[in-house]
Amino acid sequence: MKVRTEGSSNYEYVSARVRSRKRKLFDGDDYRKLVRMEPGEIARFMEETEYETEMNALGTRHSGVDLVEYALNRNLAKHFDDLLTWAEGPLYDYIVNYLRKFDAWNVKTAVRGVYTDAATEAVETDLIRTGEFPDRLLDRLVEAGSIEEVAEALSTTIFGDPLAEAMSDFENEGVLVPLENAVDRAFYTHLMDELGRSVPNSPEGLYGEFLEAEIDFRNLRNALRIARSGVDIDPAEYHIEGGGLFDPEELRQLATNVDELVERVRASTYGDELATALEELAAADSLVGFERALETALLEYSSKLSNRYPLSVCPVISYVLAKEREVENVRAIARGREAGLSVEEIEEELVVR
Amino acid sequence: MMETLELASVVLQDGSGGISGQAAAAIAVGLGALGTGYAQSRIGAAAVGAVAEDDDMFVPGLIFTALPETLIIIAFVTIFLVGN
Repeated sequence: MKVRTEGSSNYEYVSARVRSRKRKLFDGDDYRKLVRMEPGEIARFMEETEYETEMNALGTRHSGVDLVEYALNRNLAKHFDDLLTWAEGPLYDYIVNYLRKFDAWNVKTAVRGVYTDAATEAVETDLIRTGEFPDRLLDRLVEAGSIEEVAEALSTTIFGDPLAEAMSDFENEGVLVPLENAVDRAFYTHLMDELGRSVPNSPEGLYGEFLEAEIDFRNLRNALRIARSGVDIDPAEYHIEGGGLFDPEELRQLATNVDELVERVRASTYGDELATALEELAAADSLVGFERALETALLEYSSKLSNRYPLSVCPVISYVLAKEREVENVRAIARGREAGLSVEEIEEELVVR
Repeated sequence: MMETLELASVVLQDGSGGISGQAAAAIAVGLGALGTGYAQSRIGAAAVGAVAEDDDMFVPGLIFTALPETLIIIAFVTIFLVGN
């Protein structure tokens, strides 16, 4: 679905608001405090911050960590819907396309829910009600009893065909990788379609540049995951088009040899941004650490772009990423404390700017 | 080369051709006002956005919105320099 709005983009207004909101996100100090709190204290802390409205609205129906998580998701959806109310012209289109990532998230949540036989309420809590899907479709996804039903419900959206194609792979392998990649691929393919040909240093060009980086990072992560999991899947089949770093053939060769992959990335344009991530991968040999370093690198890259080109879509994307990160961090803390993890273990999981 | 210079000096010094001093000043002020308006529209949008998020930004926003006024004030001087 393509929504074209009239007029020119109001970059000044939107980036001023977005920057102000980004500054109000939790910083390192807040996280240090949060990590040392009990779940109940976390909920109380959240009531005194940005999340007050959501915490109060949901406080009667939920409690404990579920309340925190529900409030986080609802707050996220509220902020991203705000972005859409402010933006005009082409800027609106960019944001709408980017926020479709939450449709992808919702589809993945539904699929995982079916796969793990999770309770309907549990899936419901994890949905983020922003993006393109109407509430009715989301409810149908939650209620679906099998993966086929999910694919069926999505048949009219951009995710329908890719999911149906990936179904046979899923049935053969018994892992979710094919399905989740089909969803990601549908999302990114569509994103790049809307972009068309771009001029360097124009708002569109920058948007393209950032998306390219994101796709490259995702390809990298997928290649490593497949290599590590030892499942006999061809990485090239899960290559997402549109990135600048790998083509499918290269990805296939590199996925089997982590050292070569690291060298390749170090020599690329992302070498500087990913330096710490690569060292961690080479040294500790830990995929979790590398993925977190990758997230941090993407976050830093988006902030850099947004400082370099303030009157473009970059500040908005940077905010969207930072907000998502905050929500994930707080969720990790709340869940971690509930599960009784130690402070150090939780801090390992956080991605802080 | 010489001819071009002579021509230029004639065009620049000969007050009888072209437009009067007052009209030239009016154009200068008008263009200055346009420039101010263009700058203020964009700064104003950003300022309103910032104030909407945080009331403390009102004064800085106002100052930055008013900064392009210097353009029109300097253009205003032209009236007294060439207008009479």
